[in-house]
Amino acid sequence: MERTRLMAYDDLRAFLAELDKNGQLLSISEEVTAEPDLAAAANAVSRVEGSPALYFDNVQGFRDAKIALNVHGSWPNHALALGLPPDTLVREQVEEFARRWENFPVPPVRRVSPPWAENTRTGDEVNIFDVLPVFRLNDGDSGFFLDKAAVVSRDPTDPGNFGKQNVGIYRLEVKGPRRLGLQPAPMHDIAIHLQRAEESHEDLPIAIAVGNDPAITLAAATPMAYDQSEYELAGALRGEPAPIATAPLTGLDVPWGSEVVLEGVVEGRKRELEGPFGEFTGHYSGGRKMPVVRVDRISYRTNPIYESLYLGMPWTELDYLIGPATCVQLYQQLKADFPEVQAVNAMYTHGLLAIISTKTRYGGFAKAVGMRAMTTPHGLGYCKMVIVVDAEVDPFDLPRVMWAMSTKVNAAADLVNLPNLSVLHLDPSSEPAGISNKLIIDATTPVPPDRRGRFEQAVHDLPETGDWVRRLQAVRKGKP
Amino acid sequence: MTCPRCDHSTIAVMATSPVPDVWELLRCARCGYAWRTTEPARRTTRAAYPKVFQLTQADIDAAVEVPVVPEQ
Ligand SMILES: [Zn+2]
Repeated sequence: MERTRLMAYDDLRAFLAELDKNGQLLSISEEVTAEPDLAAAANAVSRVEGSPALYFDNVQGFRDAKIALNVHGSWPNHALALGLPPDTLVREQVEEFARRWENFPVPPVRRVSPPWAENTRTGDEVNIFDVLPVFRLNDGDSGFFLDKAAVVSRDPTDPGNFGKQNVGIYRLEVKGPRRLGLQPAPMHDIAIHLQRAEESHEDLPIAIAVGNDPAITLAAATPMAYDQSEYELAGALRGEPAPIATAPLTGLDVPWGSEVVLEGVVEGRKRELEGPFGEFTGHYSGGRKMPVVRVDRISYRTNPIYESLYLGMPWTELDYLIGPATCVQLYQQLKADFPEVQAVNAMYTHGLLAIISTKTRYGGFAKAVGMRAMTTPHGLGYCKMVIVVDAEVDPFDLPRVMWAMSTKVNAAADLVNLPNLSVLHLDPSSEPAGISNKLIIDATTPVPPDRRGRFEQAVHDLPETGDWVRRLQAVRKGKP
Repeated sequence: MTCPRCDHSTIAVMATSPVPDVWELLRCARCGYAWRTTEPARRTTRAAYPKVFQLTQADIDAAVEVPVVPEQ
């Protein structure tokens, strides 16, 4: 596979052009309604071959609205975001993601004259509705949400620490011309920043960057350690430093190439009803009292492109955005303790279910690997079910995983049911919310001293099969 | 007109369409539900609004804080 075709995009527009060149951008020029058309189209596109990105520029009632959806929402799009050929296999994309992560940290490059500095409004002149054509996604949503913006904040007790500056994607409910609701899950970095600000009765300055180059979004969607910089991961992913600029009001570091930058504060010690919102679990979040953002400055390109994503019943764009990063994170953390681990597929509902392939050193080993997955930082909120398979089973090859489950598992000894562990609140099966039993399914072949079953006579691929795969493929392509 | 979600009668105009008189964005003063006037009836009218998403003052009062405001 050609892995060196690195191509870094400095902004969303450059990436949209590349998607278009590869037949992965569908422009809809006929007039559509903001609701229900935009969300319905983005909901539908995952069922269309290739699942391309969507671009709308003729929305009823708007003059200049430009909306990009499903930008990361297919394996070809994800490959192109990493500068890989669009037909790169899923497992290879995940492995390449992991390889690039090994180059972390790649310090960003600070650039002047960001394109979003073209237009500015401050104070009561800020009107989000004049700049962003927000629209509803699902019927039960309480309103209009920004759901793909990079939200930047610093640790108020250590504001000079670049690594502790966080860039994350948190949903934002648009509650007024300069007012937003913010969902920071307690385990997210921004919740730590907010807690520290609120303990000293202060507001938390934030910047919200809308419409970004694809690497920034991938990095912002990645669960990272508290003191690791998403910009330095974005640099590793794109293979060159990520361009950043200083936000004029807050001094926060924001992507240089953003379409729109909002700045303001999370108002300290204030909570207000937010939601429900159809979430990545395929269920609504319920309404909770959550923090509120006051926007004090908005900077934007002339005729900005509003980038958003549809989420709801998986798979949606969000699964492509978060799936590979989740696999890599879990893989790295497991590999540090257990070099026997071969691969991790944690792409199902952000890793609520994970499949791990591993060599097994002795009886009971696979179950220990499963338990370790549950105690990784990500596993604490996810990994409700872990399926462990032998090293020879590719966890991305679901028919093979089902084969392992159906032939290797005997419920008498292969299920480990662990009571009352932590899981994210959004898991609709947790009871109470945030607490769930967790299950390990050991679908590996038992090894001594765990002697069970009759697995001695396994059928293997013929030694000549690999050659024949290549020969048949060549014949099919009409080559000798 | 009342709020489709909670039946409250105080509704504010949050925004109007850049092309005049095509739509408005409205928002309920009590529960914060927001909608565009051109959305389907299931999102814009109390009568057609799904029961499962309806809210009462008691529901609003009972909503939990996430994250919890730290102790003084
Ligand atoms: Zn209401």
